Amino acid sequence: MVDLSLAVRKFQKEMNAGTSALVLLSVLGRSREPLYGYQIAKLLEESSPEVPIMKQGALYPVLRSLEENGLLESAVEPSVSGPPRRYYKITEDGRAALVEWLEIWKQTKKFVDANLKG
Amino acid sequence: MFNSIEEYLEALKMEMKSADPALIQDAAADAREHLSLALEAAREKTPNVSEADALKSIVEEYGTPEETASAYREIERRTSPSLKQAKKSDSFWGRVFGVYVDPRTWGSLLFMFIAFVTGIIYFTWAVMGLSISLSFMILIIGIPLAILFLLSVQGLALLEGRLVEALLGVRMPRRPLFAQPGLNWLDRLKALVTDKHTWLSLLYMALQMPLGVVYFSVNVTLIALALGFMAAPFAQVLWHFPIVSTFEGRIFLPYWALFLMEIGGFLILTLTMHLARAVGWLHGRYAKWMLVAD
Repeated sequence: MVDLSLAVRKFQKEMNAGTSALVLLSVLGRSREPLYGYQIAKLLEESSPEVPIMKQGALYPVLRSLEENGLLESAVEPSVSGPPRRYYKITEDGRAALVEWLEIWKQTKKFVDANLKG
Repeated sequence: MFNSIEEYLEALKMEMKSADPALIQDAAADAREHLSLALEAAREKTPNVSEADALKSIVEEYGTPEETASAYREIERRTSPSLKQAKKSDSFWGRVFGVYVDPRTWGSLLFMFIAFVTGIIYFTWAVMGLSISLSFMILIIGIPLAILFLLSVQGLALLEGRLVEALLGVRMPRRPLFAQPGLNWLDRLKALVTDKHTWLSLLYMALQMPLGVVYFSVNVTLIALALGFMAAPFAQVLWHFPIVSTFEGRIFLPYWALFLMEIGGFLILTLTMHLARAVGWLHGRYAKWMLVAD
């Protein structure tokens, strides 16, 4: 007997793997100022409150890996209360990548939709 | 479930304890930042809420330590190490002279100087240990001696791995691979003898001496040559010291030649730096291949 919930979770995780990077990059691409993780998490929550697709904690490693690949840059700033915050900002390379990622996303969406309809 | 943020962080660190320390540090910093902000927001909404109650719903949204740890592991696994290296400068000149500010260059240079010393130690230890254990093999005492020696080879290989990782930036194992517990001496010896990395480590140790000597002499020669080229024009201009002095007389160069000499010295130094970085890179790959179990 196949563990269905495991299969569902695994699928969700695999879907998130690619889309979370795209969503984060485009949120930061739209933003006029650098954002820190908690702000981004809140923004995502506000834009789609009814679909809690991924845990907020999973956003941070994606932000870090985008930065390692040079698509984002970050700066740590101390805050008046509590620990310092890491502010993320999109780079020029990041904007260029975003344009191409969006194109890939459109293609993928079209492909998947077309085949799901049958 | 968690009474404080610190408790969550402890649990997260426990979950990640086998991960890279740098990754654990990142994950803990992110969690600390997020959880304290969320806690602050929760307290603004309901001032009397206890930390434990507020954290319950916060952690539900943020993810349990297990979920968070697996998210970091997942990303780390998908990020190839080559992408994690410092961004390379795109311009030609940036690539040529960026070698001076690349930490890998200085790491390689330092490693090659250290290899001169460690190479001699490794070689002596390898040759001495091998000959003593082999010659005692005719007596029963040879077996424990051989085991002790081969174990010391594995230990030294681990140590060399730490050095390679620190200076050449290649990931090497952090913990020794202990043979399964509960083996008797003979089986232990068999396991050590049949592991090809025991012998490759031994070979690495023996080869490290000639390599260390070559690294050391090539580097010293090239750096001395470059610095000599760069210093000689100053010696002539400032102290009227000849570039070449023979029995026939003293040779002084015109200013344009001094200028060329200065440039030449700098170019030799730059080339040496590139050579050091490239050899360091190669040595890192070679050390990984020789010392690390697949």
